[in-house]
Amino acid sequence: MISSRNKRSLGLLKLGLVVASVALFLATALVYVSQTRQQAFLTATIRSSGWVAYQAQLEFVRAQAEFAKLAIVPSALGIDKLMLRLEILRSRLPLLYDSDEGRVLSDVVDTRGPTQIFEARLDQIIDDVARLDPEDGDTAAQLRELSTELEPLGEALQTILMESVAYNQEIFRRERALAQRPGATPLLLLFISGACLAAVLILQSRRDRIRMGEIVEAQATLAAVEENLRAVIQAVPACVVVIDPDTDHVSFFNPSAADLVSPSLDDPAWPRFVNAVRVAAGEPDTSRWGALTMGYARSPGDIVSLRGSVGSVLWERRQQQLIVLVDTSRVRNAELQVMQAAKLATLGEMATAIAHELNQPLAVIKMAVANARRLLDPLPGGEPVAAKLERISAQVDRAKRITDQVRRYGRMPTEQLLPFSLRHAVELAAGFVAEQFRAANIRLSIETSAPAELLVFGEQTMFEQVIVNLLINARDAYETQDEDRPEAAHHEGGAGDRQSGAGEREVQVAIRLENARAVVLVQDNAGGVPPEMLERLFEPFATTKPTEKGTGLGLSLARSVIRDMNGTIVAENSGGGARFVINLPTSHALAAQDAA
Amino acid sequence: MNATRTMLICDDEEELANELGEYFASLGWRVALSVTAEDAIGLLHQGLAPQVLITDLRIGAVDGRQVVAEARALPEAIRPILIVIITGHVMHNVAAADYDSDLLYVKPIDPSDMLGDIDSFLAGRAKAAD
Repeated sequence: MISSRNKRSLGLLKLGLVVASVALFLATALVYVSQTRQQAFLTATIRSSGWVAYQAQLEFVRAQAEFAKLAIVPSALGIDKLMLRLEILRSRLPLLYDSDEGRVLSDVVDTRGPTQIFEARLDQIIDDVARLDPEDGDTAAQLRELSTELEPLGEALQTILMESVAYNQEIFRRERALAQRPGATPLLLLFISGACLAAVLILQSRRDRIRMGEIVEAQATLAAVEENLRAVIQAVPACVVVIDPDTDHVSFFNPSAADLVSPSLDDPAWPRFVNAVRVAAGEPDTSRWGALTMGYARSPGDIVSLRGSVGSVLWERRQQQLIVLVDTSRVRNAELQVMQAAKLATLGEMATAIAHELNQPLAVIKMAVANARRLLDPLPGGEPVAAKLERISAQVDRAKRITDQVRRYGRMPTEQLLPFSLRHAVELAAGFVAEQFRAANIRLSIETSAPAELLVFGEQTMFEQVIVNLLINARDAYETQDEDRPEAAHHEGGAGDRQSGAGEREVQVAIRLENARAVVLVQDNAGGVPPEMLERLFEPFATTKPTEKGTGLGLSLARSVIRDMNGTIVAENSGGGARFVINLPTSHALAAQDAA
Repeated sequence: MNATRTMLICDDEEELANELGEYFASLGWRVALSVTAEDAIGLLHQGLAPQVLITDLRIGAVDGRQVVAEARALPEAIRPILIVIITGHVMHNVAAADYDSDLLYVKPIDPSDMLGDIDSFLAGRAKAAD
């Protein structure tokens, strides 16, 4: 992470570099222009300064020539001409040091010293020349003398001219060199300016990179947080579902919700679930936890109680509805099961006690019958009575079988999952109701394609109770049918009476082994369960039977028992009656697992 | 073995004791009845010396097992040869040996079955004694 202070200093540095590079660029341009100008001016001045030296030297030569001419033939006109020359020469001398050109020249060679001393002298010579008489014979000699006096000035001027020429040549040489080679300073400045811009770019890119790093880091943090949240949502045992409130389309569901409804979004169970929530939600304020309670039918007969809330959530950048529900069926069922278990325990004890008490009179009857038969034996014509005594004895035996089964049934269940023979358990349960079935004129058949050694895991007594419960329910269904539809039977009539032929009452129990799982089918032909009941069949107290008929073992408890055995139980209408299908893991599956 | 066979029946269910006693008496047995464990123990100690003792398990305050124990502790001369338990209770996989008896029946009992068992037991004992 980059601190804000660093960021500010980086920004200032960048601004400074931009300003510096612009300033340098302008300065470079100005320096270049001014240098070019100055150079041009200097060059002009130097050139003209050479010209000044040359003019002075030329005037000196002209003056000397006039002296020579006049010395040969002195004349008044010649003297005037000479004076004019000398005055021109005199006027040229100050220019050598007191003009722009002269000042440039004095930097190269001393112009003031050598020339100034001749200025007074020249004025003297001009005066001397003015006084000359052309007619005088001595004039020529005087002219030569004066000319000789001027000789040192000629040498000085010659020196200045030579120096100036030499300097000019040097200037030309440099100019030419400069013209051939581009200026180093502007180049350097341009280079620095370019370097500054490059630095700005580098800094900018570095800052961008840092910012990009920060963004990437922030995104990674955000993703990690989201990942964690998602993991939590996936792991919670509560059902979490997000739906689009406009379309009621499900946007998300967690594994718990998948278990409850369906793992596939295309499953028609989802719209059904959403609709059930909508109906249950009703009032707008269901965001408080527990405000929503509802029942949901996972499948016909498998109803779960749900409790939770519906709230709004910002999901995938949209306002959506968040449904959180907890399956409270088990809690509810557990409460009921405690009641049921207590009831069952009492019933078990009572049944045991009753069986014991019944055995006593049965024992007396049995003995009395034996004695009666013995007493009857010697008497003539006692055969019909002996037959009746035989029947009484047989009935006592039958009653004994019933009390034996009741005592077995009344045994207290344990919590352990122990292996037991499925077929044996079903046969025991069937034996328990066989009497009642016979009394109700119901044919009970057991068809098994599974081996007797097929083992399932659970509490055998409890499982037997489940089967007994299903069989008793079937029996009761026939009775309800009789009470409810005597006229219906008449309507259907024509076909004749229900006690025989096609209307025969039959309950089939089938045991099969399918995919290493045991399947127990209990099928009756008592007209089936009303469709509206079918969905609630496994709910506690969802019975159509009058209370006095209740066995104390509801289908709800039956489902719990099967669930505890890691199995399932479902109900459906089929073949003119109700069909219960129990599916259980078996020792075969266990063996297969062990082998794998 | 022509001597009269003797039997003591102990059951708090008086009617059952009577019927059972009548059954064996009709077959020539000399039968003594008691409806409490205390009575039965008293009779045994007084030297009743029945060949067969038939007792219920739950007889009022004193358990039938106590009657069996007392009988077993008697001197050999007056000790019953055969001890039979009859019970109306829930029992799974119990055997006569669990109660230190020779035979065990769950009520209601078929008396002819019981008579057959007793006869063959006594016959076996007599053969062993010879």
